[in-house]
Amino acid sequence: MSAEPLELAHRAVALATGAGAKEAEATLIVSDTFSAEARGEQITKLQQSVGRSLTLRAFVDGRKATLATTDLSPEGTAALVERCVEAARSVERDPLGGLPEPEPVAAADLHIFEPDVRARSEDEKLADALAMEREMRAYDARIDNSNGSRVADAVTSVALVNSLGFEGSYTCSSVSLSASPVARDGAEKRTAHYGASRRGYGAMPAASEIARIAARRAVEMCGARKPRTAILPVIFERDVAAVLLGDLFAACSGANVAIENSFLAGRVGERIGSGLVTIVDDGLLPAGMGSSPFDAEGVPTRKTVVFERGVLRSFLFDSYHARKLGAKSTGNASGGTVGPNNFYLQPGSGSLEDLIARTPRGILVYDIIGFATEHVTGTWSRGASGFMVEDGRIVYPVDGFTIAGNLRDMLATLDDVAGDIVYESPIVSPSFRVAEMTVSGT
Amino acid sequence: MSDTQPETLPRSLIEHLLAVALERGGEHAELFFEQRLSHALRLQEGRIHEAGVSVTRGVGIRVRVGDQQGYGYSDDLSQGSLERAARVAGKIARGGHILHAVSVNERPVENMYIEGEWSDRVAMGRRVDLLLRADAAARRSDARVRAVNGNLADEVQDVLIANSDGLLVRDRRPLVALSVQVVAERNGERTQGYFGDGGRRGFEFYDRVTPEWIAGEAARIAVVNLEAVEAPAGELPVVVGPGGGGVLLHEAVGHGLESDFNRQGVSLYSGRIGERVASELVTIYDDGNLPGERGSIAVDDEGTPGQHKILVEHGMLRGYMQDNINAELMHTHSTGSGRRQSFRYLPQPRMTNTYMPAGDLQPDEVIKRVKRGFYAKSFSGGQVEISKGDFVFMVGEGYLIEDGRLTAPVKGATLIGNGPEIMTRVSAVGSDMKLANGSYTCGKGGQLVPVGVGLPTLLISSMTVGGSRVG
Repeated sequence: MSAEPLELAHRAVALATGAGAKEAEATLIVSDTFSAEARGEQITKLQQSVGRSLTLRAFVDGRKATLATTDLSPEGTAALVERCVEAARSVERDPLGGLPEPEPVAAADLHIFEPDVRARSEDEKLADALAMEREMRAYDARIDNSNGSRVADAVTSVALVNSLGFEGSYTCSSVSLSASPVARDGAEKRTAHYGASRRGYGAMPAASEIARIAARRAVEMCGARKPRTAILPVIFERDVAAVLLGDLFAACSGANVAIENSFLAGRVGERIGSGLVTIVDDGLLPAGMGSSPFDAEGVPTRKTVVFERGVLRSFLFDSYHARKLGAKSTGNASGGTVGPNNFYLQPGSGSLEDLIARTPRGILVYDIIGFATEHVTGTWSRGASGFMVEDGRIVYPVDGFTIAGNLRDMLATLDDVAGDIVYESPIVSPSFRVAEMTVSGT
Repeated sequence: MSDTQPETLPRSLIEHLLAVALERGGEHAELFFEQRLSHALRLQEGRIHEAGVSVTRGVGIRVRVGDQQGYGYSDDLSQGSLERAARVAGKIARGGHILHAVSVNERPVENMYIEGEWSDRVAMGRRVDLLLRADAAARRSDARVRAVNGNLADEVQDVLIANSDGLLVRDRRPLVALSVQVVAERNGERTQGYFGDGGRRGFEFYDRVTPEWIAGEAARIAVVNLEAVEAPAGELPVVVGPGGGGVLLHEAVGHGLESDFNRQGVSLYSGRIGERVASELVTIYDDGNLPGERGSIAVDDEGTPGQHKILVEHGMLRGYMQDNINAELMHTHSTGSGRRQSFRYLPQPRMTNTYMPAGDLQPDEVIKRVKRGFYAKSFSGGQVEISKGDFVFMVGEGYLIEDGRLTAPVKGATLIGNGPEIMTRVSAVGSDMKLANGSYTCGKGGQLVPVGVGLPTLLISSMTVGGSRVG
């Protein structure tokens, strides 16, 4: 990475301390992004840009203000830094406010940058997008339309400097391919969406494979009906399971725990989940989509055990919320609060099909919509679609129902876990089963 | 940069960039310049916890060829960097080297925003005062209030839009929002309440809609929820309350009437203009021209004036919400619905303020029609799948209806339904149409835009309530 981003970050820190900040931290992010969308036989969208942004945190006697700007002109930055430091004076003094003491960052290669993202030609990327469109339509005659197939990649450089002497930078890359078929189901339309993300093109599944999985998911839902209201075991397919884990992450975030906006507040050391619930956050997972050498405030990332065989062991922290709760930062600072690195449920064994085979009766959830989670109480419900399972086999597709429960009960009754985890986002999960939830249909 | 005047691009540079964008044979080029100054202040644990300042400034350039779009943006306003963005956008056209002369002329925009105490002229102390007033009011309202968190956000966004048809317009858009979350506690059990309000206004908004009232509503909901019973599970008649209940229209019908989905034939409403799609009691408007409302825009992000649009009239589908590209491909006109999150995004057809006009029943007459059912006073959010029309709503405040009266409050309910099905089941409409208090933000294709909703009290004869209590 060129010296320029580090230099810009140094300059912003100097401007802030010059304007009266006692401590300051600047992050310069430069992101070179590409995305293309195909529909039918045509490329419908082609976008490519380099975006730059500066984020500054300034502390004036424990009073914190942040600045985020895409205006990096010298005059613009100077005026904004001043405005930011001025804004800090309106904040109440917080004795816990301030930067973390710099710690050395290990030099291990995390494999988060793959040169093939830059090397692959635009024509090859466009060919992938078009191939997915063709492959979906070839899979089944009922697929005669789509919401598009997408190829997107980015190379992102991060430079972080603070007034306590921290200086660090790294470059990472990402690639994602996704396909969204629309299938004709009598007079109705069925949609699906499936995609994959990796650090480079080399590790990506083939475009044709992604398209076939997306197509199969759309076609399989044809003829779905509303199930009867009942209490049933629920299997969460891995992408849906990851959404649930996202809600659990929020409950484990020191930022929520500190304001008691979490049903887990005050419960470290208690048994919450079943023996299958081992959940970790690992910032050093090789090639992980959430891996980085240091977090958003320069604290080295690490591996933290959050749940160990059902027992809540630790929350996740940035330096401020760690100080507040008498803990140490776990290297989870992100965007001014606490964020996941690679947060996942420890996989069990077998495929999703094996997990279905181990389920005498239940409902397999393949897709959910909505976002009703009350973190204070753990109350959780979503709209859902998927399949009825009887005698270890899928019997028919179902949709138009909700599943509801409480995160605490769901963790306590999580009774089977598959081994099908794929580390393609900062929060991932293998498929798992919860012993009973309310399925609300007709 | 100065506090109140945006930087701007010289007209000659704008014309040059549009010509560069069309060099490879594009049919249509557009430039979007944005400069947005936002402030945010957060209240936590009874004190001002954090202040934020943010600037979004840059230029996005788009080239269209048929239904193909190329896009490039730059936050660096140097000529070289802007030319690169224009060339990247132009790559979607694969023709040879063509020289176009482009000339643009500024067109006045009818100002629809209310002059007042706009965000860029407000001192931080004014913001601090509003949040501390909210905190005090929530704590004063009930001894069971345990925690109060608040967010005050405000901005002024300056945009300049020019295109190869010769258009050049500017718009200056204010926005304020205050939201409060209250946690109440009784015997170790905690519940929360959330309420917010705002609009395309300055800070004079808070003289009318006070922070005390907003915080009081959040506290009231949190305390009501202490008494709440588990939500029932199964199919029930549902009465949707006025104002915030309008999220129902936004999800159940609105998204399905955005023109991109209809041109591409992926919406269940594709090709159905003139057909019956709802009960004859249902009329739905989308209106970008309501002064001061959160979803309003003098011009959209393609420079077309905001409009009042009839989407559904007495149950008949009348029209879609159009942006430029979809309108052109469907041989019609833009309805001023082209919106984008920022200069980093292509515009999409989007809603502005979506609402249903009043019916003729007293609201309590509507509730009296239900023997056993569910009353959704407000929603905390919703989501829809536009091809089949299945949607969900998360209920913010809800009650059981027993023998035509509201009884116990209900917690944790999600409603699920199918848009076209639910719209045929609208069986009574109240006379109490109200635009929602709220600070609703709509997400589509990864882009967020502020929107408004409105609704009179509405009876839906049957809908699935997704609670956890069976029987």
